[in-house]
Amino acid sequence: MIEEKILLDHGSGGKASHTLFSNMILPLFENFELSKQDDGATLDVEGTTLAFSTDSYVVDPIFFPGGNIGDLAVNGTVNDISMCGAVPKYISVGLIIEEGLPIKDFKLILETMATAAKKAGVKIVTGDTKVVPRGKADKIFINTSGIGVIPPDVNVSGSNAKPGDKIIISGTIADHGITILSSREGLKFDSDIKTDSAPLNKMVQSVIQSDCDIHVLRDPTRGGIGTTLNEIASQSNVGIKIDEQSLPIRGPVQGICELLGFDPLYIANEGKLIAFVPEKYARKALELIQQDEFGKDAVIIGEVTSEDPGKVFLKTTIGGLRIIDMLTGEQFPRIC
Amino acid sequence: MVLKYIEEYRDGSLARDLVKKIHSVSKKDLRLMEVCGTHTTAIFRHGIRSVLPQGITLLSGPGCPVCVTAQKDIDAFVGFARVKNVIVTTFGDLIKVPGSSSTLGKEKAAGADVRIVYSVFDAVNIARENKDKEVVFCGVGFETTIPTIAAGILMGIEGQVDNFSVYSANKLTPPALAALMETDGVELDGFILPGHVSVITGTDAYRDTFEKYDIPSVISGFEPIDILQAILLLIEQNEAGKPALENAYPRAVSDVGNVKAKQIMNQVFEVCNASWRGIGEIPSSGMELKKEYQKFDAAIKFGMDMPDVPEPKGCACGEILMGLKRPYECALYKKKCTPLNPVGPCMVSSEGSCAAFYRYS
Repeated sequence: MIEEKILLDHGSGGKASHTLFSNMILPLFENFELSKQDDGATLDVEGTTLAFSTDSYVVDPIFFPGGNIGDLAVNGTVNDISMCGAVPKYISVGLIIEEGLPIKDFKLILETMATAAKKAGVKIVTGDTKVVPRGKADKIFINTSGIGVIPPDVNVSGSNAKPGDKIIISGTIADHGITILSSREGLKFDSDIKTDSAPLNKMVQSVIQSDCDIHVLRDPTRGGIGTTLNEIASQSNVGIKIDEQSLPIRGPVQGICELLGFDPLYIANEGKLIAFVPEKYARKALELIQQDEFGKDAVIIGEVTSEDPGKVFLKTTIGGLRIIDMLTGEQFPRIC
Repeated sequence: MVLKYIEEYRDGSLARDLVKKIHSVSKKDLRLMEVCGTHTTAIFRHGIRSVLPQGITLLSGPGCPVCVTAQKDIDAFVGFARVKNVIVTTFGDLIKVPGSSSTLGKEKAAGADVRIVYSVFDAVNIARENKDKEVVFCGVGFETTIPTIAAGILMGIEGQVDNFSVYSANKLTPPALAALMETDGVELDGFILPGHVSVITGTDAYRDTFEKYDIPSVISGFEPIDILQAILLLIEQNEAGKPALENAYPRAVSDVGNVKAKQIMNQVFEVCNASWRGIGEIPSSGMELKKEYQKFDAAIKFGMDMPDVPEPKGCACGEILMGLKRPYECALYKKKCTPLNPVGPCMVSSEGSCAAFYRYS
């Protein structure tokens, strides 16, 4: 059944988003680059391979512990380009501002973007600013697009996972989503959690430039690692098995997840990557990731299997086995 | 403290010991019902079915508040969303539950002011901040939730918030267990009783039902060790032929329960008959606002009295809630009814057994 109107669920990054993309967006724009469905498009331009990606940021609230919409927008696109195996170079910024936004807030967001771009080593080279009447947008929305260069011989894609690959996560899960949720009105938790928003390009370059033969890189943003692993299992037509005991999660984040009935597997991350690496290079890749300032808590969480293609399984702490499906619907708290 | 509990009650070696014990004790085929939706989710989430002996069947009961909400109550919620200047406040799970013509989510997309709240107090605050509007709270819950709704109403009185009202589709657990035992075809060998509800009601609330039906009953917490322990006790009772009412969640549940919460609940609400989805009317199984609090009753305030409507054709939610059918035995399951386009509420709620089966198996 096709809905008559767009629902919030269509933007959750889970199953409804995928259905919308596959049934409505892809058929109308059909082309080889888009149909690969990676974090960014890979383009051959006169002998150079480029990665090109875009993302829009509508986070609420716009300021939250550890960052704001500005560095989130820069890091997000830096990471999407990096996940193609590329070195991000140039970024564009589109600003849609609601009338009435305090100049001091706007200035702070721009300053944060400048700092984030500098830290990631990318230049903001073009942009656009629009202001809409009060109530027609919510404070500020930001679109960033970016391009990067993929070094020769690098071939990283969600469709490259192979049985036997080890799966590495670069640090603790669910920090960003839980930070945003707990900063929202009405949910005041006294904790020191903050967003994990961070540029991952240096981490990516260090593993890409090694001889680790990285098969897949993905940043598990909306929909969390549960959804991302499902995307990869289906793109590569392989099975994935992860071990619950090995999943890194901060205590307070897990506490809030338990309290509100959220499954951390489906909560957004903004400064983490998942890497699929052949077993023989797994240890080396893990060490390289751990040497990066944003990868200290990196661990191996599972492996790729040839059984059950397209499916993701979790071995629970008590030794049970369960399927991890793609996120369906937004996660809601328990009600009893 | 919370964290300590999580680690202790998810301990892998302790769990393996319990599983071993369950396998050595278990001889008979048994049908055990977890009454509470949070148990259903926890059982899936920790892969508990996959470690149990084949003869042990776990069935999900009528303990997911969204799942047991009658269609006419959902229609009422949608009705409120269509009234001008009304803000409907609701727990998130209700947003997607289909009424006879729409859902709160669709009404929201069409322009209605529907807001997800995490507690009734948020709804009272929204009313306080929107004096020119009426705020209706969709009251859907069991003994765990009803005292907080009562407290919200008392908070509304104290703060003179008279643009706030509640539609009460609240329900009580013990009468549903009794109704279940009286239903033809229902064959159960034990209840895993709900931990959260029991924190409020206490163990004593189940004593009448237990004595009347002599069915093994164990109150359980929600961590895997809690649930495995409860399952072990139920198996032991069955194997020994000695049914008992046991509390395996003593760190949270007492015999008398939370006396203050019950007092507040009984101050504001009184017992009434209630319609349960798929099951029908169960005597003395609901809670409505007492006469002196009726100005907070949204049904009266807006004259919202929706007719009883038949449930969607083919939807087996009722039989599933009574343990008569498993989700995959419903003709609509995974075909017409999916989490994206749910037909019945068991596919909507994160605690619904159809949604849990869909997601985890």
